[in-house]
Amino acid sequence: MGIITISREFGSGGESVARFVAEKTGFLLVNKDTIVAGLAEHGIEVPAPEKEALGAENEENNGRERRYIEAMHDFIYDLAIRNNLVILGRGGSILFRDYPPALHVRVIAQFTERVRRVMKAYSLAPETAVKLVKEKDREKNLYYRQVFNANWNNLRLYDLVLNTEKVGLEDAADLIIAAYRIHAEPREVKDGPPPGEMEERVFTPPAEAEADQFMHPSEEEFAHMLDFYRIRWQYEPRTFFLEWDSEGNVVEAFSPDFYLPDQDLFIELTTQKPRQAWKKNRKIRRMKELYPDINVRLIDKRGFESLLKKHSIDQDQGEEEDS
Amino acid sequence: MSDKKPYGDDQLKILFTREQIEEKIKGLGRKISADYAGLDLVLVGVLRGSIYFLVDLTRSMHIPFAIDFISISHYSEQTDSTGVVRITKDLDLSITGRHVLVVEDIVDTGLSLGYLLRNLKSRDPASLKICTLVNVEARRIMEVPVDYKGFDVPNVFVVGYGLDYNEKYRNLQFIAQFDRP
Repeated sequence: MGIITISREFGSGGESVARFVAEKTGFLLVNKDTIVAGLAEHGIEVPAPEKEALGAENEENNGRERRYIEAMHDFIYDLAIRNNLVILGRGGSILFRDYPPALHVRVIAQFTERVRRVMKAYSLAPETAVKLVKEKDREKNLYYRQVFNANWNNLRLYDLVLNTEKVGLEDAADLIIAAYRIHAEPREVKDGPPPGEMEERVFTPPAEAEADQFMHPSEEEFAHMLDFYRIRWQYEPRTFFLEWDSEGNVVEAFSPDFYLPDQDLFIELTTQKPRQAWKKNRKIRRMKELYPDINVRLIDKRGFESLLKKHSIDQDQGEEEDS
Repeated sequence: MSDKKPYGDDQLKILFTREQIEEKIKGLGRKISADYAGLDLVLVGVLRGSIYFLVDLTRSMHIPFAIDFISISHYSEQTDSTGVVRITKDLDLSITGRHVLVVEDIVDTGLSLGYLLRNLKSRDPASLKICTLVNVEARRIMEVPVDYKGFDVPNVFVVGYGLDYNEKYRNLQFIAQFDRP
């Protein structure tokens, strides 16, 4: 899947740029309209009309909006499995932050220029246009803070920033496409944690907590198989921290299902749908970035089924031969 | 028999032809003959898939050797949860102090081979190495050192040249990808 995310200031022309990029690359354009329509097909409606950012007033309303946003993120991840996407807004740069081939673009223009364009495009009085641009900027800021706990204006979220006062909208699209082609090559991992901090980042639960309460039948089956081959294993013995907020609080962590001490190998099983498998893949990528010395392997639904099927076939044969 | 598909089966996609396999095995035979020249070599075929490979491999070798076979039980979903892997047919020869080369048709998860290696190692051979016709690294759970290998294949199901699906297809002279029903 190819992913280009475009975040834009209101009035910067980012929407047109995104459309050009989608047309020229053949990537599927994902904007507010396609998401609203796509979710509506699944019977999921926008909770509060004309208002997507989370309001602070009402807890119940917040819950509905959060669920809607979660559904929206799942919808985007689903689309990304089978399509190349140009994602306009919706926090795309954060949703695909851990997918290295993605290119994250920010489209900007000076405030006065954006006001001028908005006046022209919507035939507004100057005061109204100023108010609208400020309001839209505030909304985006709020959305990023409340949904992702992130700063929308943090330029580190983006790989490429384009000022549409300096470059026309179609040229901006061409620059993005050129940048994407260069960028889509796998990147070297950078910015791992400082080596000294490694120990603090790994959480080991106390031994008595280890009760082998499997979360999923497939895990129990896998454990039986390891027992059969006399391979020592531990169930979810360690938790790896993957993501911290600006205050150093852990916001994402990962506990691989099994650890094989003799192989010094962590194993994560997934018998889930591709969507969840994709998320696990993302976590494993992140884990490999942060903990390059830890061996971790994902066994997916197909791999696991073929393992079990292969072995059941052996069993079936044995029975036939005996008769 | 030529490379044409038997069984009227269109689920097979040929990955390696008879000629490619023959050439590969000749290369392996030469290398093994050179590496084990002057040593007391025991080839251990793992039943049942490896027999076709073992026959052709030994025919391409030009040093003396002994042949023996071993077979172990496999895990299945129906296996009793207290069951463990065991040897269902052991070696007849002693391998203590001798150079052992385990011959496999395929190495995928490494689970059964890992067990086999631990078992054979306990008999104190002078050396213990692995030769496999097909290697599926993508399915590996347990690392096993593959010293000689014919073909690397991705995570697909393969049949032919000793590899079976429900005992079918072993006698194919080529190796094919099989899309299971």
